[in-house]
Amino acid sequence: MLYNKVMDKNFYGIFKTFFKVGTLLLGGGYVILPLLTSELVDKKKWITSEELCEFYALGASLPGIIAANTAIFTGRKLLGTKGAIAATVGMVLPAFLAIVLFASILSELITKPSIQHIFWGVGIGVIVLLFLAVKEMWKKSVTDEFSLLTYTICLALALSGKIPPSITVIFALFFGIFWQKIEDKKQNKGGKEI
Amino acid sequence: MNLYLQLFLQFFHVGVFSFGGGYATLPFLYDIAEKFHWYTPKQLTDMLAISSITPGPVGVNVATFAGFTTSGILGALIATTAVILPSFIIVTIISKALDKFKTNRTVKGAIRGLKAAGCALLSAVGIKLIFTSNLHLLGTLLLIALLISGFFKKQDPLIYLGLSALIGLILGHFNWIGV
Repeated sequence: MLYNKVMDKNFYGIFKTFFKVGTLLLGGGYVILPLLTSELVDKKKWITSEELCEFYALGASLPGIIAANTAIFTGRKLLGTKGAIAATVGMVLPAFLAIVLFASILSELITKPSIQHIFWGVGIGVIVLLFLAVKEMWKKSVTDEFSLLTYTICLALALSGKIPPSITVIFALFFGIFWQKIEDKKQNKGGKEI
Repeated sequence: MNLYLQLFLQFFHVGVFSFGGGYATLPFLYDIAEKFHWYTPKQLTDMLAISSITPGPVGVNVATFAGFTTSGILGALIATTAVILPSFIIVTIISKALDKFKTNRTVKGAIRGLKAAGCALLSAVGIKLIFTSNLHLLGTLLLIALLISGFFKKQDPLIYLGLSALIGLILGHFNWIGV
C-alpha cells in the first residue's frame, strides 16, 4: 500500500492528483487549501499539512493566481520542475476544457431573451460577490494608517481612469518598501534611546 | 502587432501584476476590455458568472474565455499559458531563496503595499461595473438588498448567482428590466 503511494509520485501521478483537485475547484480558487489537504496530506501523504499551509501562504503573497502559485510550489517540492509542470497543467486543464466547452455554446445561447435576462440578473450577483471579495481583502490588507493611505491613493488612481492598474501596483510596491524603511528606522532609534 | 503575440503579452502582464487572488485579476481584465475591445465589460461580467459555476480559478477561467472569444482555441491556449507563466517564473525564483524571502524587511513592506493596492483596484472595478451595467431601478434595489445581506452573513457564492439569475428571469419575463 505504502509502496504504491510512493510509486505514484511521478509525473503522471502528480498530474492525475491535481487534475482531480482542479475539477473539484468550483466557485473560484478559495477552496484550494481544503481540497489539497484532503488529496495530498490525508490520502497520498506526500507532504505535511504545515508544508501545504506554508505553500498557500507564500502563494498568496506573490503576484498571479493563488491556486496556481500553490500548485507550483507543491509540485516543485514533490518532483522539481517536472512536478511543477505536472501540477500546473493538471490543475488548469479541467478549467480550460470547461470554459472552451461553455464558450462554444454560449454564442448560440446568448441570443435567447430568457438567457439574456438570466445574465442580467447574474451580472448583479457578480457585483455582489466582487464587493464581498473586497470586504475579505480589506480585512487582511487595510490594517493601519499606511495601508489605509495606500488604499485611498490607489483607489483614486484607479478611478481617475487615466492610470493603468500596473502603474498603481508599482507605486504601491515602492511606497510599501519606503514606508517599511521609515518604520524600521524609527523602531531602531526607539530601541537605542531605551 | 500580431494578435496572438498581443494576447500573450496582455495576459502575461495580468499574471505579473495581479495581486490578492481570485478577483484580483479583474482590474487588469477590465483595463484590457477598455483598451483592446476583445470583449466588452458586460461580457466580462458574463464570463465571471460562468467562471463561478465551472471548475478552476477565476483568473484562469477568464483568461481562457477571453482568449477563446478573441481568436478561438489557439487564443484560449495562448492566454491561459500567458496568465500562468509569470507564476511559474516567480515561484521558481522565490523557491531558491525561500528563507530570505520570508524574513526580508523590504519584501515585507512591498507585500503590505501590494495587498492594499489589490484591494483598492478591485473596489474601483466594482464601482465602475455598477455605473456601466444596465441596472435600472429594480436592479439597483436587488444589488443593495443582496449586498446588505451579504455583509451581515456571507452565503455560498452560488446562492447570490442563483437568486439573482432567478430574479432576472422573472423580471425579464414581465418586461421590467428593458433587456
